[in-house]
This record gives sequence, C-alpha cells and structure tokens, in this order.
Amino acid sequence: MKKILIIEDDKLICSELEVMLNNSGYKATVLKDFENSLASILNINPDLILLDINIPFINGEELLRNLRKESNIPVIMVTSKNNEIDEVLSMSYGADDYITKPYNPTILLLRINAVLKRTLNKIIDTINYHDLIIDIKKGVVKKDKEEIILTKNEMIIFLYLYQKQGCIVSRDELMTELWNNDEYINDNALTVNISRLRSKFKELGCSDIIETRKGQGYILL
Amino acid sequence: MKIGNYLKDKIFIISILLIVYFIILSFIIGFKINIQFKIIFSIIYLLMIIILFCYDYFRKYFFYKDMINKLKLLDEKYLLCELIKSPYFLEGKIFYDVLYEINKSMNENIIDYKEKINNFKDYIELWIHEVKIPLSALILYTHNKKVNKTILKEINRIDEYLEQILYYIRSENSNEDYIIKQVLLSKVIRDVMLKNKDILLEKNINVTIDLDNILVLTDIKWLEFMINQVISNSIKYVRNIKNREIKIKAYKNKDNIILEIYDNGIGIPKCDINKVFNKTFTGINGRKINSSTGMGLYIVNNLCKKLGHKVKIESDEGKYTKVLFYFDSNLFYREVC
Repeated sequence: MKKILIIEDDKLICSELEVMLNNSGYKATVLKDFENSLASILNINPDLILLDINIPFINGEELLRNLRKESNIPVIMVTSKNNEIDEVLSMSYGADDYITKPYNPTILLLRINAVLKRTLNKIIDTINYHDLIIDIKKGVVKKDKEEIILTKNEMIIFLYLYQKQGCIVSRDELMTELWNNDEYINDNALTVNISRLRSKFKELGCSDIIETRKGQGYILL
Repeated sequence: MKIGNYLKDKIFIISILLIVYFIILSFIIGFKINIQFKIIFSIIYLLMIIILFCYDYFRKYFFYKDMINKLKLLDEKYLLCELIKSPYFLEGKIFYDVLYEINKSMNENIIDYKEKINNFKDYIELWIHEVKIPLSALILYTHNKKVNKTILKEINRIDEYLEQILYYIRSENSNEDYIIKQVLLSKVIRDVMLKNKDILLEKNINVTIDLDNILVLTDIKWLEFMINQVISNSIKYVRNIKNREIKIKAYKNKDNIILEIYDNGIGIPKCDINKVFNKTFTGINGRKINSSTGMGLYIVNNLCKKLGHKVKIESDEGKYTKVLFYFDSNLFYREVC
C-alpha cells in the first residue's frame, strides 16, 4: 500500500484528505511537526507528498528545495494561488505536479495516480489478468489464439478498474478518467461501454468479472 | 499667440505711448521748433516703440508656440513641464513655476491613489486565496460524506465568482503577472471540461472536441479562465431541446489560429450582440437568468486585449452561439521569449 504524506496546516482539509486517501486504497499520514519538517519527512519516508505552499515555519517551496537535496520522493504542490508564475517556479524547484485549491477530489486522485505511475518508470505494454493477456498498445485481449479488440474507451475503463482491482470504483471516477483522456462521453455511453466490456470478456470465457455495487460503483474481481 | 491678440492685450500701453507722442508733438509745434527735428523725433520715437514691442512679442511668441506644439504632440499632457524650459521673462517664469508646483502635487496625489489601489488589489487577491481554503475543505467534506450534489454545485458557484473577481483585478491592473508559453489547446479544454463535467452530464449536453495537437502562445491560466467563462455561458443558456451540444474545434488560417466554441443554445438577439462585451451588460437573455452579472465576457475581452488575442461572437437567436478566439500564428512571441 502506497504511503502518502499530507503537509497542510488547515485541520479540516487534513482530516478529510486523510479519510479520502484511506478510502481510495492509500495509507495517508499527516505531518504534525512543522518545526523539523524535513527531518520528519525523511523519517516517515512516504511514497508521495502532498505539499501545501503556505505552511507554518517554512515556505512550501523552500521545503521542497531542501527536500530535493536529500531525496527524490514525488511531490504534488497544493496551493490556493492560481497563478502560472507560481506553478512554473514550483516545477523548477522539482515538484512533480501542481494543483490549485479548491480541487475536485476525484481529479486529485487521478493526479496522484499519474504521478505514482510516472515515478515507477515502468511502461507496461501487457497485463496478465486471470488467463487472459491484455495488450494495451494493440488494444486487444487475447486468450490462447482467440483475440478480441477493445475500443479506446473500453480499454481506459478496464485499465482503471484493473489499477484499483478489488476496490469499489465509482461511476464518477470512471467518467473523470475518460474525460481526462479526452473521451467526452455521457452517462448512457458509459453504461453501454461497461456492458460491452463485460460481454467481450464473456466471449473469452471470463464472465462476471465486473461486479456492480448498487449506488456505489463497480469492482473488478 | 497671434499678433492681433497681442496688440489688443497691450492696447493700454500703446495708447499711452501714442498720447505721450502727440503731447510732445504738440509741444514741438507750439514752440515752433525746427520741422526737421519734428521728423527725426517722430522716426526715433516710433521706431523705438516698434523695436520694444517686437522684442517683447517674439520672446513670448517662441515660448508659447513651443509649449502649445508640444502639448498637442503629447499623449500624456501632464508631462508637459518636463519638456519645456523655464522662460526668460518674468510672467512666464511665474507661470512656469506655478505649473511645475501644480504638476508635482498632482503626481504625488496620483502616486498616492495608485498605491491605495495596489494595496486594495493585493488585499483582495490575498483574501480570495484565503477564502479558497475553507472552500477546499468543504468540497472534500461533501465528497467524503457523499452529501447531496446541490451543495457541491453551490460551492462551485462561489468558486466561479471568486475566479471572476480575481481575473477582473488582473485584467484591470497594469501589473503583468502572466507568462506566455506554448500551450496545447486540448489540455486547456480538458481541464475546463473536467471542471464542468457534472453539470454538462446533468444537463445532457453532448461535447464534441476536435483540436488535433494545435499549440498556441498564451498564458495557460488566463486562457483557461476565458474558456471557462464561455463554456459556463453555453451551459447557462441552453435551449429546451433534446440534442443539446457544445462543439469545440481549432484550425489555422493565414495569420491566425482560431479556436471556435459552438453551442446550439438560445443564442443572442441581434440588438444585443454588439454589446455583449460591455461592462455589466446583461441584455434580454440576462434578464431571463438571475445569475447573470454581465462581467464574464467583459473580462474575457479585456484579458484577450492584454494577451494580444482577439475574441469575436456570432449568433443566430434561437439557433446557436459561436465564440471565436484568434491567436497570432506568427513567431513574434517566440522571438521575444
């Protein structure tokens, strides 16, 4: 489980972020000792840091620069300043991404996911799922010699569910992921895509891989 | 300074000099002095008067002519004092000194006001950033507690109004806090669409986007704000039909890259279309919807001017609205950067 460190001085934001990240399959920790922030960060050794620019004792950018001398832990800067200059500055200090308050929680999760994937530095071409092979580049699912083509939308949905395998994924999350990939589909299209995905896997002998949780979302088994 | 006006101004002195001349002349005639002396006296006296007035006239003429010419050429007329020299004659000197003092005190006043406006602007910006913190907390809270979506919508409305005032300040202010870079249009559109995703889905608006990989030179945050204003108008002013749609495309022509945002909403009446960029103009459509402030497009137009883009709007009432952004496709910016 990936460990995410929250560095933020607003108490409500801290506690709500913690809840949200824990619900999404991460282990969230909140930084409490701002006075020795750098030492505590290195001590906690998280997989990713959500760093607010306005924190007590030290400026977030300053902290980022100090951190970069010691470690390459991925950092997403969070700020309420919606300004390109600040963003460019933060990125030049070594931030991996930059998000402005107020952010959409689902989009924050997508960004965290993207940064973690990027820093893993693994470009995955194929996935083995049960006894199937999913070739992402070609957009096909293979079983022995049988092959079925997935559309771009179906592939996006499957990959997202696969990353969160075993967790409930809401329709909103799937929709956000699709729109984030420039596929601006509507609610009906999402339902159609999911049922098509199901039937395509069924043809290859994998029935009921995507379970529907009423009012909550879907789970890939 | 015309010679006629000058003489008119000096009429009192001239008449006294002439009276004196005739008095002396009458003495000369009365005492039966040599006629030649009379002629010589007349010539010397009149010549002296003419020389004196010419000297005085030209001295003033050159100073005032120079001043008026420079005043006409100047765009910022209050800088006049910096351009003219203090003259050699007394009245001019007094006049110049007074002008200089007035100018100085005015400049001090202006600096004072500028500082006040800047302080106010800084405070408002700071305040906006402060307000965004509790807003973030509220959004996270509603997300976790799965609170009714209407509350989230209202929070997002607050955020939109905050953005509007932030960019109003940025567009009115001479401080140039933007960065011109190459920006991928599809990225900006993606961020705007994600922001409006819920309401687009709720209102059943189909989105079609065709942008290829077109890059434009602009400030990404400002452009995002401008497009968001246009899209939220499209969302606000939908028609009561089944196939609502927003189509966004970009293409190049000879001089420009054009971003076109089309919607099949209620459109804009012909009598209003030329006024949509005016400040606080709401028009016939605005009266139908109570959340219209008449500021959105005004700010968009101002920001466009600052960035060197152009924005145009086309519409057929009851059919469609099309907003066109024109970006320079020449390399001017790239050379500057």
